[in-house]
Amino acid sequence: MCVRFEPSNVTEMNDWIAIGALALVGVLIPFGMMAVSYLLRPTVPETSKRATYESGEIPTGGTRIRFNIQYYMVALLFVVFDIETVLLFPWAVAYQDALAADIPLVRALGPMLLFVAILLVGLAWAWRTGAVQWARTPRQLESDRP
Amino acid sequence: MAATATGPFGFAPAIAVFPLVAFVITLVFGRHLPKKGALPGILATAGSLVVSVVMFAAVAGGGEHHTTLYEWTSGAATSETMVEGIEFTFGILIDPLSALMLVIVSLVALLVHVFSLGYMNAEGETGLRRYYAELGLFTFSMLAFVFADNLLMAFMFFELVGLCSYLLIGFWFRTESAPSAAKKAFLVTRFGDYFFLIGVVAIAATFGTVGFAGEESFVTAAETAIDDGTTLFGFDAETWVTITGLLVLGGVLGKSAQFPFHTWLPDAMEGPTTVSALIHAATMVAAGVYLVARMFGYYALSPTALAIIAFVGGFTALFAATMAVVKDDIKQVLAYSTISQYGYMMLGLGVGGYVAGVFHLMNHAFFKALLFLGAGAVIILMHHEQDMWEMGGLKDKAPVTYYTFLAGALALAGIVPFSGFWSKDEVLFDALAVGLEQPVILAAYAMGLLAVFFTGFYTFRMVFLTFHGEPRSAAAEDPHSVGWAVKVPLLALGTLATVAGFANLAPVAELLHADITFLEFWLDGKYGAVEGLTYHAYHETVAFEEGVIGSETTTMLLSAGLSLGLALAGAFTAHTLYNVPEPSRHTTKLGGAYRVLKSNYYQDEYQVWLAEGLTLPLARAADRFDQTVIDGVVNGTSTISLFGSDRVKRIQTGIVTNYAALLVGGFIGLLLVLGYLGGWFA
Amino acid sequence: MAVLELPDWMALAPALILAGTALVLFLIDSIEPHSTNRTLLSGTAVAGSLSSLAVAVWFTVAGVGATGIENYGVIDIMNGQFVVDQLALYFMIIIAVVTALVTVASYDYLQDHTYQAEYYSLVVLAATGMSMMAASNSLVTIFIALELTSLPSYALVAILKDNRGSVEAGLKYFLIGALSSAIFVYGVSLVYGATGSLQLTRIATVLESGDGAVGEMGGLLGLGILMLIGGVAFKTASVPFHFWAPEAYEGAPAPISAFLSSASKAAGFVLAFRVFTTAFPLEATTGIIGVDWTLVFAILAIVTMTLGNFAAATQENVKRMLAYSSIGHAGYVLIGLAALSADGGDLVMGAAMMHLLVYGFMNTGAFLFVGLAEYWGVGRTFEDYNGLAERAPFACGAMAVFMFSLAGVPPFSGFWSKYLLYTELINAAADNTVLLVLAAALVINSALSLYYYSRLVKALWIEEPLLDRDRLAQPTGLYAAVIAAAVMTVVLLPAFGPVADAALEAAAAVVA
Repeated sequence: MCVRFEPSNVTEMNDWIAIGALALVGVLIPFGMMAVSYLLRPTVPETSKRATYESGEIPTGGTRIRFNIQYYMVALLFVVFDIETVLLFPWAVAYQDALAADIPLVRALGPMLLFVAILLVGLAWAWRTGAVQWARTPRQLESDRP
Repeated sequence: MAATATGPFGFAPAIAVFPLVAFVITLVFGRHLPKKGALPGILATAGSLVVSVVMFAAVAGGGEHHTTLYEWTSGAATSETMVEGIEFTFGILIDPLSALMLVIVSLVALLVHVFSLGYMNAEGETGLRRYYAELGLFTFSMLAFVFADNLLMAFMFFELVGLCSYLLIGFWFRTESAPSAAKKAFLVTRFGDYFFLIGVVAIAATFGTVGFAGEESFVTAAETAIDDGTTLFGFDAETWVTITGLLVLGGVLGKSAQFPFHTWLPDAMEGPTTVSALIHAATMVAAGVYLVARMFGYYALSPTALAIIAFVGGFTALFAATMAVVKDDIKQVLAYSTISQYGYMMLGLGVGGYVAGVFHLMNHAFFKALLFLGAGAVIILMHHEQDMWEMGGLKDKAPVTYYTFLAGALALAGIVPFSGFWSKDEVLFDALAVGLEQPVILAAYAMGLLAVFFTGFYTFRMVFLTFHGEPRSAAAEDPHSVGWAVKVPLLALGTLATVAGFANLAPVAELLHADITFLEFWLDGKYGAVEGLTYHAYHETVAFEEGVIGSETTTMLLSAGLSLGLALAGAFTAHTLYNVPEPSRHTTKLGGAYRVLKSNYYQDEYQVWLAEGLTLPLARAADRFDQTVIDGVVNGTSTISLFGSDRVKRIQTGIVTNYAALLVGGFIGLLLVLGYLGGWFA
Repeated sequence: MAVLELPDWMALAPALILAGTALVLFLIDSIEPHSTNRTLLSGTAVAGSLSSLAVAVWFTVAGVGATGIENYGVIDIMNGQFVVDQLALYFMIIIAVVTALVTVASYDYLQDHTYQAEYYSLVVLAATGMSMMAASNSLVTIFIALELTSLPSYALVAILKDNRGSVEAGLKYFLIGALSSAIFVYGVSLVYGATGSLQLTRIATVLESGDGAVGEMGGLLGLGILMLIGGVAFKTASVPFHFWAPEAYEGAPAPISAFLSSASKAAGFVLAFRVFTTAFPLEATTGIIGVDWTLVFAILAIVTMTLGNFAAATQENVKRMLAYSSIGHAGYVLIGLAALSADGGDLVMGAAMMHLLVYGFMNTGAFLFVGLAEYWGVGRTFEDYNGLAERAPFACGAMAVFMFSLAGVPPFSGFWSKYLLYTELINAAADNTVLLVLAAALVINSALSLYYYSRLVKALWIEEPLLDRDRLAQPTGLYAAVIAAAVMTVVLLPAFGPVADAALEAAAAVVA
């Protein structure tokens, strides 16, 4: 997340106050959400819900276990968008200034569109080749074949 | 290089090219040619003779020829005398000396080719194609050697004639003795040539040139170096010239069969007699002496080298003559006489008698070729019997052979007025003149003089045993006939042997004060010559003083009388002992000396010992060194490499954590080295 | 020429074309997933690499990057993040050539293979990274290009998913690669810390002017440089960062081995040439870090060539032998960097670059021949190759050319480049013991290398086959690539003049 500090008008105000406020907000948000959830949800106890990760992975025991490859696929696709975001932010910040400085729209907008297009090609390819389909067992694959 | 390749000299290369073409033709088509390839050889040598005579005439007309035909390589190295770069070329130098030699060589070659028709073809020898091809190659090499204009080219053709000699000595390669003799000749001459090659390299490295003639020649360069007092390779210039000259002399001694390299020549008689006549008497053996004459200006700079040449020559003359006395084989006698006669030439050149040496070279070429061909005719007559004790009484049955042989014998013995007398006398006179001032030369002269007696003796012993008395065998009773191909060369050479001496009648000229020393004028450049390569130029360079007994004329007459007297005494002794109907061997008169002479002074024995007792163990030791140490190192290297390879291979364990550890370890190692050197940890 | 009117960024066209080709391949695969239309896929990849080659050659001929001609000079892109000069174009050519050969050969090699499109697009993406690396002029762009090269390479090595060797090799390659990348990027940060700049020319300016505190940070800068060398050593498979190479080359599909050992190595070298000639001027850097960095390369060169050749000598597996030989050749080329401290060092570097170009042909060809053998299924060891010449004389003739050229036997190009390297090295080594030792090592190792190269030729041509073989197939693509590489190995010799000039000019331009 990007946090910008405006230079404060109140010269006496210590910078640490802002940091403290941020920390406070950071703590309040999760606890607030948990509290709201606690107030709103119905209580249906179930074993799988008591696991640390409801996705089904058991975090205890030996380390030599197999993860489903699908996790990595999702993670990788996430990276695509993550990178996109990281680069979009500075571009977005500079975009207005660029237009104000009479830089042609093609030069200001073009590179980012190209970049997004490249990522889209990647995403489309991943999608088409089945990266977002849930992995199947060999038996399932067998039954799919005509 | 005044002359260009126009006029008659433009044809100069043809002299050598004709026999080369004959060689190729004979080699390729010889089988299908009439006379098995003799004709191309005869035509080619005749062509060479014609062109040589044209050259001779051109030189007589005041011309000379020096040109570079082809530069095959050049280098940029700086020589010891600071000459930048060196060029190795093929070139032609035709001056009085080489023109004379070209005529001699091509003439003898032609006559021998013709004689071969009678000696080889008529006798039904096999392998004639090979024979004529090799003769052609030899003639080509010899002629090219003669007109070579630089030392390296001379060396190359010197080696080529050596090769031909090897091939032709071993012509009857199915016998036991011929291949052995061929190998011996090859090895002994090669031993001398080894020094020659070193000499060539030394001269090239010293003076940056190997040319014989002109401003660019090593002779001129050496003269300049001596005049300037230059130090060459740590020696003063004259010593260095002596050293290099003696190195080249190694090749000369080997080729001209001078002591101690003479042992191959008698064995070389295993070749056909025609080959002996052409190669081992008249021409190739002359190559050594010719080379000394060719670069005489160089030897003239070093009195030491000259004295050594003279002494070796005188010694060899006597040494070989004594051995000839007891030989039974007619060709053996001639072989030793050849060695002896080349000793005279060396003596002549060694005392500064350039004209005398060349004069004797020329005369010897004629009369020794004659004698060998005569011996060849005798061998035909005798149905291939060579032992003189089986002969006798051939005088009446083969008059042409007898009279021509006799002419050659008289020339060889040095009886006035045959050619050998004039030249041998001149050699001895020059030696005496110098010897009166130089004790070493006087000793050489004394040996040469003594050899005259032996020469006379063995020559006439040979004549009497062969032609006189009663026939001592069935073959001698009924000799084979000889044809025109044998007689024509004999007659031609017989005439030459008789009259060639008139080319330089020095004693007569001295007495009558007539200008009839034509050869001296010829070699002195009276007609045409390359500057610096004249008798006068040489004579000025040679440092020997000359003395006289009474006056010059007295000295000369004394010398001539002495040698003639001794020769006649020798001939007379032979006459007494052998010109009887039933001659006996008279070996007991010699006592213990007979055994020594018969064994050739044990020269072969000690050389065999040198080879077997000394060289062979050394070679074995070297071989053992090679097998164990050198091969051991080589094999060891490969073993160590392969072993190292095996170890290095094991670094790659296949376990990736090891890799990571090694990688980081290596990196840290580099860091430590670099950090230490760069002082980062300080 | 029209180059003048093109915008500056078009100078990167050889790399951009490759990038575009990769995207097109992805699009094709998106439209028709798991396509087995080998002609289309392989054709696209070949067309892309050939156009990249054509453009790079055109630029070189037109004089882009050449110094001294108006308007044609070195082109800086994005404030010097990229630079297109002769050096860059020279290596773009090498990379494009190898890529073309590999993609042509893969046509047959990948028959019945599941991941066709992925394979080609990864190859072309890696080639894009290499091409970018040739033009990168800043440590950031270099690192990005490096990763763009490395990541597809890992996947490519492991692309034979059912082959345990391939997968194992891929993982090992990845792990060593990750370690090396970490070292490299740490080096980048240290250099940045010491000089305050990432752009190479600016680093040089800082070092030369001694601005700021750089003078007191000799150790820091030195460590950074050493770590950069580590990154380079990984890419070029130099000791001690070479461990991945024998395993990766052996496990990977043969065309990929060819690709990695030729193109990837060339890319590593252009990186080294660029960084060390531009960013760390010798005198200034030596003044700060207290030690001449060429020394590191000298040590690496000797150790690398010795280890490579020694380990190759007794290998039984042909591909592994070639892998070690490729390490040995990296050692030869490292000489180009080691000699930079001497007078005439630019000539040595030029010779090293020439050797890389020749190497691009002969080594690619050799690996492709192995690919051919894998295609035939004759086996992997020297013995398995016995007597192949009876069945496939042309391919085996080409292989003999490669082997002798690799060994440096006249008259093949490998001899000339090595000979030039040697003579220039001797010239430069006038009074430099280290370089003389290098020259000696070069000679000794070349002699040793002849042993194992000729061993293979002997197996192919002289030995009797262990078992009778049927007629061997003649796959068009593989054959074409092998023969083309062989022809180039031979005819590069007559063309050596222009090639030599190009390399020497490029080297002189960056060194000056």
